[in-house]
Amino acid sequence: MVDEYNILIASVGGQGGVTLARILSQAALAQGFNVRVGETLGMAQRGGAVQSHVRIGEAVHGPIIPNGRTSVLLSLEPSESLRTPEYLSQGTRAIVNTAFVHPIPVMLGDEKPHDLDTVISALRRISPEVYTLDAKRIAESVGASGSLNIVVLGAYAALGDTILSEASIKSALAESTPKRFLEQNTRAYEDGFREMRARPSSGSNRTAG
Amino acid sequence: MDEVGSLHLIMGNEAVARGTIESGVQFAIGYPGTPSTEALETLSKLAEERGMRVEWAVNEKVAFDIATGISYGGDRCLVTMKSAGLNVALDSLASVAYGDVVGGLVVYVADDPGAHAGMEETDSRLYTQVTMLPMIDVSDPQTSKDAVVAAFDLSEKYKIPILVRSTTRVAHGRAPVRYGKVKAPEKKTPLTRDVSRFTRASAAWVKQQHRVLNERVKAIESEAETSQLNILNLRPGAKLGVIASGISWSYLQDILETHSLEISTFLIGFTNPLPLNLIQRLIESVDKVLVLEELEPFLEHRVRALTHDFGRSVAIIGKMDGTLPRVGEYNYQLVENAVSRLIGRPLSQPDHELEARQNEARKLAPTRSLSFCAGCPHRGTYTALTQAAKELGYGKSDIIVTGDIGCTILGMYPPWSSCWTEVSMGASIGNAIGLKYSGVKTPVVAAIGDSTFFHAGIPPSINVAWRGTPVVIAVLDNGITAMTGHQPSPSTGYAETGKEAKKIKAEDILAAAGISRVHVVDPYDLQASKEAFKEALETEGPSAVILRRDCSLVARRRGALGAPYGVDREGCTGCLLCLRTLSCPAMSVEDEKMEIDEAACAGCGLCAQVCPTDAITQGGK
Repeated sequence: MVDEYNILIASVGGQGGVTLARILSQAALAQGFNVRVGETLGMAQRGGAVQSHVRIGEAVHGPIIPNGRTSVLLSLEPSESLRTPEYLSQGTRAIVNTAFVHPIPVMLGDEKPHDLDTVISALRRISPEVYTLDAKRIAESVGASGSLNIVVLGAYAALGDTILSEASIKSALAESTPKRFLEQNTRAYEDGFREMRARPSSGSNRTAG
Repeated sequence: MDEVGSLHLIMGNEAVARGTIESGVQFAIGYPGTPSTEALETLSKLAEERGMRVEWAVNEKVAFDIATGISYGGDRCLVTMKSAGLNVALDSLASVAYGDVVGGLVVYVADDPGAHAGMEETDSRLYTQVTMLPMIDVSDPQTSKDAVVAAFDLSEKYKIPILVRSTTRVAHGRAPVRYGKVKAPEKKTPLTRDVSRFTRASAAWVKQQHRVLNERVKAIESEAETSQLNILNLRPGAKLGVIASGISWSYLQDILETHSLEISTFLIGFTNPLPLNLIQRLIESVDKVLVLEELEPFLEHRVRALTHDFGRSVAIIGKMDGTLPRVGEYNYQLVENAVSRLIGRPLSQPDHELEARQNEARKLAPTRSLSFCAGCPHRGTYTALTQAAKELGYGKSDIIVTGDIGCTILGMYPPWSSCWTEVSMGASIGNAIGLKYSGVKTPVVAAIGDSTFFHAGIPPSINVAWRGTPVVIAVLDNGITAMTGHQPSPSTGYAETGKEAKKIKAEDILAAAGISRVHVVDPYDLQASKEAFKEALETEGPSAVILRRDCSLVARRRGALGAPYGVDREGCTGCLLCLRTLSCPAMSVEDEKMEIDEAACAGCGLCAQVCPTDAITQGGK
């Protein structure tokens, strides 16, 4: 049994963060774990920042992760990884999609964007174990531009030392994907998985944190 | 699916729906409002297979009145609404508290501490003092289901409506819920004609009904004492206690898992009437008590008074001593700090260095102002209005636009920076009238969505016509209640079941009210919309512009979108006027030129109408 394991999903409305949370929580439930999910709905369609908290384990009650107790951060957009740093700490492992979704003032050139290095360095100063991947490019390369969330799901499954099994994640993905998207989602998942497995530091038996 | 004892990972609102099904309820009615919407939405999807009638009404008062009629007819009914909706239903709710209901009548209301949905942080518990009505507070999805089941039984037994109150974190949080047995529907004998119970038309009857109401609430006290919805854990020898309600209970449980503490705890599920004996047992066993409740110090006031009644001198920690805030929602950290105050030592040490790094990092997350979806017809509306005002020679802040509830208010964000006010459903029109009365010389435009117009925009429109006030009523008609996730409204043309329904047109209502100058335009046609606004802005008396085009999310789902637009990179000069004017999420800038995301584009064509070099075309590249 697991006492407490927390996944924080940070995204921009429309990226599929809520779907990702649903898949992970279903996988946890299928493994017989106690689960809590907290999310703020309502602005998901309208370009706002969206966060989902997936909490797993016997000692878990509230829907929101206590400060600093995130086990894994899955960030579908780089700057969103810094939206609520209070939930992160030294022990948090992070997977970050490197493709920015810039707010309009940045696109117009009225505001300057931060570069990826600045963002990732700031994240590493809080949580050193950060894995980056261009999930958008990977999703596009398999003809599934809308599935960058699933690429990140695949990367998470390949992370190693997580309490969710590959099998339960895969079957939760299959259950929650409409039939006509199943093939492209499977490709997105597998490419994300492969990309992560190619990393020297992931998938080993190191203890998280 | 109905297997008794099976576990389901569902959100609080879905659990309310499940509780309704387990209670053998055949009718559910409400008005959408975050964070309550999914309760009725879930039932609506199950309605056909369960043989239920599940409907959205035009507003919360109408919903409650229909539900009352259903109850009078001998059937059980659930009514759902957000906190602001209870204000609308209050007139009838306070009346029906007097007299009898027949079939069980349960009102589910969801408050929003933290204002996630962007309206007031009203604490609906205070309405129990206005109406006297019983209320159960829920703390997670399981109690949400259980409370609804208990509430239907109580309502029928005591012939009184029962309120079940949730909050955003409970309503939208998911947790495993154990299903119970589904009861078969059971129709009661409908009301018989008895004006002394079903009307308030004589002082003698009303006073008698008031007496009965008091007696009923008193009788429910014993139910509150024994209800499984309260959890009292008295720890032998513990001199410290915590009284909690709602989501605060779960934060407290998280803290107790983290730290081993010698404290007694009490979850109050019954907000009205309170389980006084249980409170007394806790108060008599401790020297110090912490009260955990979001928003107003409702329980804290009562606990303070009761402590005095019980002749105890107990220190009370809560909002009134400044330990906890009345504003915003609670979280683990706030509750941990309060528990630290209770036990007299800090439960955790702040890590200042980590906090400094977190604060630095937070600054790098950009502000994301909300905007209309790709293809949203309101984008055309506010762009046309801005252009019309400019062409008539008005400066940027010459025309006051009173805003209203729903997606339409997003016109307050750049690039339009329209909408000066937002008060409540339908208030844009009354506010506009008042501004004209008080002497505003320039035009005043009331911008209101179709669902909001039908909800509470019709009476003030009649007022406009009646007094001949020169107000421009702009009905942004996207044919649906969009902000809450696309519930049918009278303008939709189909019902919850997908079956065809009568389509009510705003222009017919406005014409019948006596507003003779009504333009109906397509907001995807910038030129026509601009001309309509120009004419309306120059009209001396009342006028209206209906801007009609289906919500693009609905059109996308139906496969009814136009082909996407594309940018000719040769023709694009990179002036970015399209992005600056329309702020469309399908647009981005690549190598200083515009690019349109084909998958995101909804084919509205506004960008092509704005482009000065005709570089944007449908199907173009």
